[in-house]
This record gives sequence, C-alpha cells and structure tokens, in this order.
Amino acid sequence: MVDIANEIKQQVQERRPLTPALILGNRWFLYAISMLAFFLVWDRAAVARVFSSGLPRPYEVVLQLWSMMFDPLAGKSLLGHVWASTQRILIGFTIASLVAVPLGLMMALNRYVNAIVKPLFDLLKPMPPLAWISIAILWFGIGETSKVFIIIIGTFVPCLLDAYNGVRLVEPELYDVIRMLGGKRRHEIIQVCFPAAFPAIFAGLQIALSIAWSCVLAAELVSARSGLGFIIIRGMNLSRPAMIVGGMVVIAIVAWGMSQLVSGLERLVCPWKREIDGR
Amino acid sequence: MREERHSNPVKIVCEDITKVFIQKGKQRVHVLDHISLDVQENEFVVILGPGQSGKSTLLRIIAGLETPTEGHVLIDGQEVEGPGPERGLVFQGYMLFAWKTVMGNVEMGPKLRGVPKKERREIAAHYIHLVGLDGFEKHYPHQLSGGMKQRVGIARAYANNPKVMLLDEPFGQLDAQTRYFMEKETARIWETEKRTILFVTNNIDEAIYLADRIVTLEGKLPGRMHVAYRVDLPRPREHTDMAFLKLRHEITEASELTL
Repeated sequence: MVDIANEIKQQVQERRPLTPALILGNRWFLYAISMLAFFLVWDRAAVARVFSSGLPRPYEVVLQLWSMMFDPLAGKSLLGHVWASTQRILIGFTIASLVAVPLGLMMALNRYVNAIVKPLFDLLKPMPPLAWISIAILWFGIGETSKVFIIIIGTFVPCLLDAYNGVRLVEPELYDVIRMLGGKRRHEIIQVCFPAAFPAIFAGLQIALSIAWSCVLAAELVSARSGLGFIIIRGMNLSRPAMIVGGMVVIAIVAWGMSQLVSGLERLVCPWKREIDGR
Repeated sequence: MREERHSNPVKIVCEDITKVFIQKGKQRVHVLDHISLDVQENEFVVILGPGQSGKSTLLRIIAGLETPTEGHVLIDGQEVEGPGPERGLVFQGYMLFAWKTVMGNVEMGPKLRGVPKKERREIAAHYIHLVGLDGFEKHYPHQLSGGMKQRVGIARAYANNPKVMLLDEPFGQLDAQTRYFMEKETARIWETEKRTILFVTNNIDEAIYLADRIVTLEGKLPGRMHVAYRVDLPRPREHTDMAFLKLRHEITEASELTL
C-alpha cells in the first residue's frame, strides 16, 4: 500500500505543472484563439457596417442556412441544391476523366495517337473553360446539358495532361527491369507504366475537381434554377447577404469533402505514397 | 586479350564485343573496342574501371539490354539475343517497384512466368530469407534503407534462378559502412547459393574483397581490356592483409598509368 502511495506521489510530482505558458503554447489552443478572433472581427465588422449592409453577421449566416434546410428555395431545400451542384460535377467529371485519362495514357505510349491528338489539344488548352459558357448556352440551352458541358471542358485538360506527364515521367530503367524479369511489352505497360503513373493521375484529378467547382459555379451564376451558385445569385437578387455568404460557406465545405474523398481513394489505390507530414 | 582456364566449364563467352553509339544521328561514340572475356561456371569476376570506361555498357550487352555493334555473347553456348530472366541484373539505382511490397517485388519474375501464387510466394520467401530480409515482406521500398533496397534487388534477380548474376555498381549509392556490410553479404550469399557472377565496380577494395578474378578496363573510351588479375586469397578476406594490400597497390599503380 505504501508502494502504491509512493508511486502516485512520484507521478504527481513528475507531471508538468499546468502553467499559463504551457496553455498558451499549445497548438490547439492557438488554433482556437485564431478562429475566435476571426469570427469576432467578422462580427464586429458586420455590426459596424464596414460594407454598409453587405456583410452579414456570422450567426445570421448560420440562421439562414438552417432555415434553408427546411424552407425550400425555388422548390429545393439546401441539401437539394447541394445535390444539384454535386450531381453536375459528378457527371461532368466522370465523363471527362473516363475519356481524358486513357487518352492521355495512349498519347504518351503511342506515337501516332500523340501525333493526331497533341496539336488539337495544344490549340484548345490555353482557352479558359469559362470562355465556353456563352457558346454552350447557345448550343445546349440553359438546362443541365450546358452546365455539364462546361465542367467536361474544364476538367478534361488537367486529367489528360497529368495522365500524359505521369507516363512520360516514369523512370525508363524500370522498363529495363521488367524486361530482365521476363516481361513483354504488355507487362511493361500494365505492370510498370500504369502503377507508376497513378500518383500523377490522382494529382490531376484533384486539380480537375477544384476546376470543376469553379466551372459549375460560373455556369450557375449565369443561368440556373438550382444549385449553390443559384443560391448566391438569389441572395444577390433578394439583397440577402446572409444567403450569399451562406452559399459560399456551403460550397467550401462540400468542395473540401469531395477533395477528401479523392484523397481517400488515392490512399486506397496508392498505398505506397510517402506521407508528407502536413504539419 | 583473352582469358581462359580449362578446369571449370565456361559459362559466359564474350567475343570481340564492340559497341558504337550513334547519338542524334551524327555523333559516333565508341564505347567498347574488341572486348573478349570468358567466365567460368560459378566464378566471381569483377570488371573494374573508373567512371566512363564502358563497363556498364558491357554488362548491359551481356544482359541483353543492348546489342553489340560487333561481336556476340554466348551463355552456355547460346547467343544472347535480348533481356531475359536467365540473366539476373541488379541495378545501381535499385530500381525497385515503388508500388509493390518487398514480397511483390521479389515474386515479380515468377509471376510473369505464370508460376502459381503459393509456389511463387515460397520461392520469393526463400530468397528474401537468403538476403537476410525476413520480416520485411510487407514493407514498401520507401520504408527501407539503401542497403535493404539493394538486397531486395538481389533477391528479385535471384528469384528467377538465373544462370548468371550481373551486378552493375550495386553499392555505389551506399555509405561506406553499409557498403562494406553489403560486400560481406554478397560474399556470403554467393557462398550459400553459388552462381556465376559478373560484378562491375570502380572501387578497388571492393574488387579485391569479392573477386576470383579482376578484369580491368582502360580508363578512357573506347573501353579496352587492360590487365587481368587472379585473386587467390582465402576467404573471408581481410582488407588489412599483406597480400590484399600488395595487390591493391599493384592495381592502383597499373590503373593510374592509363588515366
């Protein structure tokens, strides 16, 4: 019994005392302080009417979002609008990547495919996808098709480019290795080229995803009846800044979520990728 | 100059190997000039030469990754026509498949030949054990040190039961301590599973430590055979042995003359 008592006494003595310095130095504490300061400044700026009535208070944004969850806006709840935007992205992104990634791989592997596709690609590459909005509406009307079209245009370039470069940057000696182990051309491609290019392809997908978000937003700002961009435009038209900022906040959250999904997929497919410490 | 001995059967025959690279359609780089070399079964031959002496090119020709401009290579009497698992090649830069585990790398050769999973796992496990990497089967290359990566490279080549092992400056990227350790490991592995070995290096100590026979190339292009040395020292060898140091001195003197 005496031993246990001594042990506890020792543990208590060895514990670092909870000084103010220790609290102040703690990372999570500093994060919390920083966030609190941000919201405080925002709130004060809103109340002080720094942008006249253009800046909503944080709690107004939260209230607005909360009410949109249950009171439909143009026939859809908040989640309905989220799904509308997400759906357009998923469709466009999927179509584009399913075409662009294999095309990029083939271009890097086959001289003839390269000769045919590359000049066309180089011609269209520099044009920003948003420049296509007007012509897309002209061709496809103001419905879903034109929006998905813009997303396809926007995501096509990074997917193809990163797949292409992913293959070109594979260490050429690795092909020597597989040939020495008895591999033929098809093994070179399947066993070496593809796995080696996966990390680059995923990097391309991440970039394509963020481009997809700006594309869908722009398309919705121009003409839409649903979606997160629509929420923002409605907020503009109804002079409700809380709605505008609310829309922005939701976009940020959903985009972040999708990006995390792609990262998770990458971790699944490429378990060998060295983890770069984010801290 | 031709080297021949008549006690063991001859495994590798290089006859008059000449290699000229044509760069950018115009420049001709003469890399090898009439190299002839015989290697006997289970002999450990080291090709020694400074950088840019054509020795890696010679090894690649023997491996089948390059074709000689003139001359040919025979292994067990058959001409080498392309790369293949009967010649195990260990690369200087490790060249492991980053997306495969140690086990995945070592079993790649048998996998390409269609060996069923259970059997090829056993084969791979045997060679992973031979190079001393038990317990690391599920590790990825980026989790291994340089010496360990190279051991995977050796196991990967050995797993195909090659007729000859070709090592292209395999320890060039390792620090001195690891290098010394890997030299000892190589000697041990060779003693355990005897194989004809052709080992390329620019390090004289390494050559004397490992070789039955050292073949030196001149220090400039085109690479020509210079001098050959028999190393009859008993194994395991000591770097501080008198005979070791004498041979080291002899080779150092001879090679300085050609630079």
